[in-house]
Amino acid sequence: MSLGRYACRRLLLGLVQVLAVLVAVFLLVEALPGDAAVALAGDNPDPARVAAIRAAMGLDQPLVTRFGEWLHALVRGDLGESLVSGRPVADFLADGLPTTLLLAGLTMLLLVPSSVVLGVFVARRAGGRVDRVVTALTIGLHAVPEFALAIVLVALFGVELGWLPPTALGADPLADPAVLVLPVIVLLARPLCAVTRLVRAAMVDALASDYVRHARRLGLSRARVDYAHALPNALAPAVQQLARTTDWLLGGVIVVEAVFVIPGLGTSLVDAVAGRDMPVVQGLAVLFGVTTVLVNLLADVVAFRLAPRAGSAA
Amino acid sequence: MKGRLGFGVVLLVVPLLIAIFGPFFVPDEVTRGRAFVETGILGTDFVGRDVLHQVLLGGRTVVLVALIATGLSYAVGVPLALVAAMARRRWLDELLMRPLDIVLAVPSLLVLILVAGVAPRGYTTVVLVVAVVTVPDIARVARAAALEVSSRPALEAMRLQGESRWRLAFGYVVPTVAPTLVADLGVRITAALYLVASASFLGVGVAPDAADWAVMVDRNQAGLFLVPSAVVVPAALIIAWSVGVNLVFDRAVRR
Repeated sequence: MSLGRYACRRLLLGLVQVLAVLVAVFLLVEALPGDAAVALAGDNPDPARVAAIRAAMGLDQPLVTRFGEWLHALVRGDLGESLVSGRPVADFLADGLPTTLLLAGLTMLLLVPSSVVLGVFVARRAGGRVDRVVTALTIGLHAVPEFALAIVLVALFGVELGWLPPTALGADPLADPAVLVLPVIVLLARPLCAVTRLVRAAMVDALASDYVRHARRLGLSRARVDYAHALPNALAPAVQQLARTTDWLLGGVIVVEAVFVIPGLGTSLVDAVAGRDMPVVQGLAVLFGVTTVLVNLLADVVAFRLAPRAGSAA
Repeated sequence: MKGRLGFGVVLLVVPLLIAIFGPFFVPDEVTRGRAFVETGILGTDFVGRDVLHQVLLGGRTVVLVALIATGLSYAVGVPLALVAAMARRRWLDELLMRPLDIVLAVPSLLVLILVAGVAPRGYTTVVLVVAVVTVPDIARVARAAALEVSSRPALEAMRLQGESRWRLAFGYVVPTVAPTLVADLGVRITAALYLVASASFLGVGVAPDAADWAVMVDRNQAGLFLVPSAVVVPAALIIAWSVGVNLVFDRAVRR
């Protein structure tokens, strides 16, 4: 399959996924008992008043019509208003986005080089003591919940030793980067374990392959064989895993923001869910869901470009 | 290598024993003193309850909810995968497996927060949602394994002999793919634990003063400087269980 055809097929799947996410988010709110009209009518709702509000808001229209209208507004960037504060939902996104992007972006930026370097480092020493220790660590730590890891690190470095600020409460991350050290380390832990293991495994396979043995017999230097010939082939599976880790990263960001009191999208989401502020929940869910779908799409296409065989099954 | 397994077993067993037998060592009536003071072995929590008692009580939900959710997702995912893999018609396979790709496309924790935050509060909701988001992974692995098995000549021969599909599935395919599924079990349990604990920590689907290790970490965080043990002990138990399960199952797979 050519790259173009694969990209088209993958794009189609991505569109279906985005549509499914939108339908799911819309239905989630529909499934709630009571609707916005009941919420607006106050504590002692008069049925006539509820019906009037419902008609005014278009809530008496059939489900499909309302979904169409919601979608139409969404495309125009109109996400509605918060039921609690009356602020436009778009403002919530605009407020939280820079902080969350900073956290996720910084983690991604550190993740790629560190996992490749660490993975290659242990793969070249496969079977040795360093390899065994690193492997045990990556196996053990790869599913530890972020909040538990975070709180232990905070207790150690923030409270006991006093080296780093225990929370980001009231601090501007850009003015005071020290508040970001612990959050980024915590966010890095799971993806680092997963990607390092994958790079190591792929690199060990590549180093044992015929073409590497042949290159060695030709008298090429070890560094050249390892880095110029084995490494590129070992990276294709890592790219796909990297995309899967954005799922974790988006989930992890929600938790890490809650632990360190960082005012980002995750904090907005948790607050909105707790307060049943459904327009805000919908807006954030759409943003998170669509981002994940797009990142996975991009990664699948890149991985296909790197190693056409690996991606052709999808 | 032996040391790693021993270490893993200890990490796995200690939280598990506390989770299962801990509640038997706690007196029925809850005594409440002042909040966040260093009395007793571990001090008191945010509403003045004894932290040691809360630790003994709080493992059951975290550990058992994760285990039940994992069991449920295997119970749903494996039969689904078997039907998909053994289907003679390709559209049936597609019909069963394609929708799972859509669930896989969204972060699991996000789905859990959204659905459990909106649905009626309770552990039943958490179990169901965790099962739903982990079924696709299990079904994919099981389908891939069963697909390979169901094209074997042995199975073809049994089919020609007129064996029923039921017997083919449970008499031959399931036993053959079982090792592959078990190899995956450790990862699935820790994934479920991750979701259950993280959701509880965020206050989704649980009562705000529940005796639950994850809820303890959240609620007692305010007293981190006063009674660190009220936060660190439950957090450490969660970490220990997660690491222990992974180390032990990884070891079991390699054998």
